[in-house]
Amino acid sequence: MSRPRRGHASGRPGVGRTLALGLLALITVFPVILVVSTTLKSNQDVRANPFGLFSSFSLENLETAWTVGNFDDYLLNSILLCVPSTLIVVVLSTMAGYAFARLPFPGRTVAFYVVVFGLLVPFFAYMVPLYFQMRSMGLLDSLLGVNLVLATTQLSFGAWFMRAFFSDLPGELEQAARMDGASEWQLFLRIMVPLVTSGMGALAVFTFLQQWNNFLVPLLYMPGGEYRPLTLGLYLFIGGRSVDIGPLAAGTLITILPVVVLYVVLQRQVTQGFLSGAVKG
Amino acid sequence: MTATPAPTVTATLPSAGTSRRRGRRPGRAGVSGATRRQQARLGVLLVAPAVALMLVFLVFPVLNSVYYVFVDFDGLDTTPPWVGLGNLTELAQDSQMWAAARNNLIWIVVGTIGPLVLGLGLALLLWGVRRGSTFYRVVFFLPYVLPQVAVGVVWGWIYAPTRGWLNRGLEAVGLDGLTRGWLGDPSTALYAVLGTAVWTATGFVFVIILSALRNVDNQQVEAATLDGAGYLQRLRHVVLPQIMPVFLMVTALTLIGGFAVFDIIFVMTGGGPANATEVLGTYAYSNAFQLSRISYGTTLALVVTALAVPVAVWLDRLQRRASIEERGA
Repeated sequence: MSRPRRGHASGRPGVGRTLALGLLALITVFPVILVVSTTLKSNQDVRANPFGLFSSFSLENLETAWTVGNFDDYLLNSILLCVPSTLIVVVLSTMAGYAFARLPFPGRTVAFYVVVFGLLVPFFAYMVPLYFQMRSMGLLDSLLGVNLVLATTQLSFGAWFMRAFFSDLPGELEQAARMDGASEWQLFLRIMVPLVTSGMGALAVFTFLQQWNNFLVPLLYMPGGEYRPLTLGLYLFIGGRSVDIGPLAAGTLITILPVVVLYVVLQRQVTQGFLSGAVKG
Repeated sequence: MTATPAPTVTATLPSAGTSRRRGRRPGRAGVSGATRRQQARLGVLLVAPAVALMLVFLVFPVLNSVYYVFVDFDGLDTTPPWVGLGNLTELAQDSQMWAAARNNLIWIVVGTIGPLVLGLGLALLLWGVRRGSTFYRVVFFLPYVLPQVAVGVVWGWIYAPTRGWLNRGLEAVGLDGLTRGWLGDPSTALYAVLGTAVWTATGFVFVIILSALRNVDNQQVEAATLDGAGYLQRLRHVVLPQIMPVFLMVTALTLIGGFAVFDIIFVMTGGGPANATEVLGTYAYSNAFQLSRISYGTTLALVVTALAVPVAVWLDRLQRRASIEERGA
């Protein structure tokens, strides 16, 4: 394109624009830099000069958080709460999404309303009765129970998200497969599911992040503390008033590092997950 | 993509070319009775686990929530006494609830306008820039994906009374008189936490608006430029009208998030100091789980939800309209 373009239409930003964007980007990531910097300082330096940037180097804070601060356990618990619940969400959403998009079956409308009901009702609306329900079911402080609750909070979105992917597939596919003698089950598993793996991937990444960041569910339903995840561990760390900033920074870093890495590597999928609720109808 | 033999059936007429199959019915063209039975069986099987989970862990507790509003449940009593509208009348007369509602209102207003203005500004700044645009998008969206607990911890240091970065910055520019313990001072605590929330939500608004800007008709913008329209005129008359549907949608989403705010306040101030940052969400939590006023806490939580319903309905309308326009285009 040799046509002259002016101002914002050019691909390369001007100096002023670059400076402004750079400064704003710096302000945006500053809190994250602060976490990294404080983590990597020596404990003595943190005491003397708590918020100075990169004024010394030591791994002792990470070590303290890991061993004394129990962040090794918290990390394991976070994984034990996020991986199964994410798998449940992806598998059940794919199944339900397919059925809602492409299969006629009795009670489909009612079932659809039941499943997407969660898009209308925030967790807040039922968190209190759910506590007592979990208690009487013996599911408080249980990995199984909290995984199921975590999965349910994301299931409505997941089913709705996967349904859109299945709806977009051309109808000729199933006709061709049926003519080849495929059963409905084979059609679903061998032909349809492989076509929506990108959607399943995006849903998995998005769901995993949501579960990792979830604070309220473990706060309410893990009162005993046996399977405390990182978010809850971090919160209790601040609660123990003698706040030791060095290890606290290290704990914060351990909590956010998987999120940051996953986000930076798979930013397209993550953003897609967050935005699909907003932009798609 | 798996290779599938391209069928010769035309896309617009799904029933064409399937006359070989017997048992055709209008609507479900070309599908035999046996296939339909198979489909029905598989459909029920596939949705059953999702429906079961939803019924047990969502629908049932929601119904229970409504029940709790009309009784006085203390957490132990299996047959709690019926109080009718008692919880609701108490709520209407509870001055602490009104204080929390007022804070919630401030939160919703500032917490919506702030990210909208900043996100729009950022998006306009980056609009049309191609070099490094992915980098900026990743950076500005980052705060939105971080766990709120971690965000709260770091911003606690920024607001720290001694040697916190905000106070240091103020001292550096000679505004020593303004320094304070931002989260400990009742007059600033709510706005300090709001500042953090704005930092978090701006990236969300930014990314959505930026994707809308990418769809703006550039020829119209250029035509307006040739007609001598200044930057602000172009913005007001050409750009903003085109991104308005998306702008309203993101407004509604941010508003809805503002009603049920909990995590960030709970972590940073716990509703204090002196209830200065108490919102309906934290007030509901402390009633239900710290004061054992379970029915009252549930009532509060349901009120928070109900207040957001009109905004959610508005959002739904916006989304429907947008998706219709998209299909029409």
